[in-house]
Amino acid sequence: MNFQSVGEILDFAVAKEEQSAQFYDSLAAQVRQESMAEVFRELAREELQHKAKLLEVKQGGTFQPAPEEVADLKIAEYVVDVEPGPEMSYPDALILAMKMEKAAFKLYNDLAVSTKDAVLRGTFLALAQEEARHKLRFELEYDRNVHQDDY
Amino acid sequence: MEENPQAEKPKKEKIPRQKMPEQNVSARIRNFNEVPLGYDPETAQREARRCLQCKNPQCVDGCPVEIDIPAFLQLVVDGKFVEAAHKIKEKNVLPAVCGRVCPQEDQCEKQCILGIRGEPCAIGSLERFVADWEADQGETILPSLLPPTGHKVAVVGAGPSGLTVAFDLALLGHDVTIFEALHEPGGVLMYGIPEFRLPKAIVKREVEFLRRLGVKLYTSVVIGRTIEVDDLLKSGFEAVFLAVGAGLPMFMKIPGENLNGVFSANEFLTRVNLMKAYDFPDVDTPVWVGKNVAVIGGGNVAMDCARTALRLGAKRVSVIYRRSRSEMPARHEEIVRAEEEGIIFFFLTNPIRYLSDEKFWVRGMECVRMELGQPDSSGRRSVKPIPDSEQIIDFDTIIVAIGAGANPIIASTTPDLKTNRWGYYIADEETGLTSKPRVFAGGDIVTGSATVISAMGAGRRSARAIHKLLMESKKV
Repeated sequence: MNFQSVGEILDFAVAKEEQSAQFYDSLAAQVRQESMAEVFRELAREELQHKAKLLEVKQGGTFQPAPEEVADLKIAEYVVDVEPGPEMSYPDALILAMKMEKAAFKLYNDLAVSTKDAVLRGTFLALAQEEARHKLRFELEYDRNVHQDDY
Repeated sequence: MEENPQAEKPKKEKIPRQKMPEQNVSARIRNFNEVPLGYDPETAQREARRCLQCKNPQCVDGCPVEIDIPAFLQLVVDGKFVEAAHKIKEKNVLPAVCGRVCPQEDQCEKQCILGIRGEPCAIGSLERFVADWEADQGETILPSLLPPTGHKVAVVGAGPSGLTVAFDLALLGHDVTIFEALHEPGGVLMYGIPEFRLPKAIVKREVEFLRRLGVKLYTSVVIGRTIEVDDLLKSGFEAVFLAVGAGLPMFMKIPGENLNGVFSANEFLTRVNLMKAYDFPDVDTPVWVGKNVAVIGGGNVAMDCARTALRLGAKRVSVIYRRSRSEMPARHEEIVRAEEEGIIFFFLTNPIRYLSDEKFWVRGMECVRMELGQPDSSGRRSVKPIPDSEQIIDFDTIIVAIGAGANPIIASTTPDLKTNRWGYYIADEETGLTSKPRVFAGGDIVTGSATVISAMGAGRRSARAIHKLLMESKKV
């Protein structure tokens, strides 16, 4: 991938969010339980919100990385992969989502490392941090509900 | 003689909280008998005398089923133990169970005024005492039942919530049938809680009491498989109460959880408690316990697993908990007993993968050290791994006791029964009515894992709602 401008990077990021939304919508159509279909529709809506935010940035909005470091619970790193399918449970959906966000985080981070242009690097890092925030949200939800410590 | 208003009230005798005798440690780690041995009548009366008989008793507010605690304690003081048991049974059908397993320290005893400056009155121990006393007197007296209404109700699950709803509806004259998936009724009281905390004879006694009230009970019937909820409604049951609990074991989904020697707490405890695996080969079901056991989790179930493994002969049993001791959700007394029995605790430690030997048996785990952060919205302190803190610890058995979820069997075969994303049934908080007409639900399958008494409270509320529905509807 060779990016020449911030605009190109944002176009790429917008397309990624769009792909993710379509992926979640396709899962919403597959799963048997209505409550899980709603989970995937919600995830798709979130991706479209991210897309809208990126389009806003492209049209002159600001895009600054969050001032504080985003916590990494590393759950996405430790849990095994799940296979998307009609019987997915909510914990499975969370694992899938956190791993997708983690992959996006890694991609933007790698792109930041590979570019020498400070402006482009800053954009990649800001995108990476956004993905890290999304991942943290899923990790916290998983952590609170799956790791109950007891029953 | 005229009473002198200036005269001082006689000072109440200062009695320390009465300790319940227990089996000593060296004996109890070699048997499955109950650890606390119960009060004798004199000790019970001495403890009951500590109650201040408050005009506005806060303890009652702390009880999820609002037992008239001062009244039952006064009956104990008066030596009317059977009457005290009846007073509790006005609100709680399982006093011998709740006296043993309810977290009174977070409920009634937490509110006791004596606890402000000293130790609260031992309400739970006294509840246990009177329930056992009544049972020891021989056959318990049956309460009077209202005349038969001819209305039929099905209860799915014979745990605390199901037993309570069945009891209340039977008293009101309804024809109640319980369907239980396992071969013994009692739910988590039978399969989950070990004999040394809750002797199974007590659960059987309470179930027998229900049978004597005329409640019919079928075991080994899996509703959602053997019979579906719609079949029940079509076959003459006018209402169904779903009380199937939250028995689906949670796993961390880390690598190696499918290795031999890695158990869910549910499987391990069910084999031991319900199937009596400790008597194998005299019973059919064995259980594997190695010499060096790790239990993952910090709650009561983790303590139960650790102490059970010890009793089954493990040489070294460790609890791996990712927070610190003060965050452990287990009851304080269970943590103390586990410590007394020699259970080892690894705090702020979390497994990230289990390691295999060449025959796919677990041989240990890789863990990370954790650090605590700020409390989250629920008040629980967040926790995150410390980078580069990985270490390997050897174990030959792992028991995962991190929590349980909703079993999907009924929801997957009852399309109009709405669940939330975690699989718990969506039900009205006051009545327990689900999205499906004439189908109610209560207990852990609605709230997620909670206490025995809160499940019983849900059963009681639904019984009222079901009774109202039945009495307002025409007989089918």
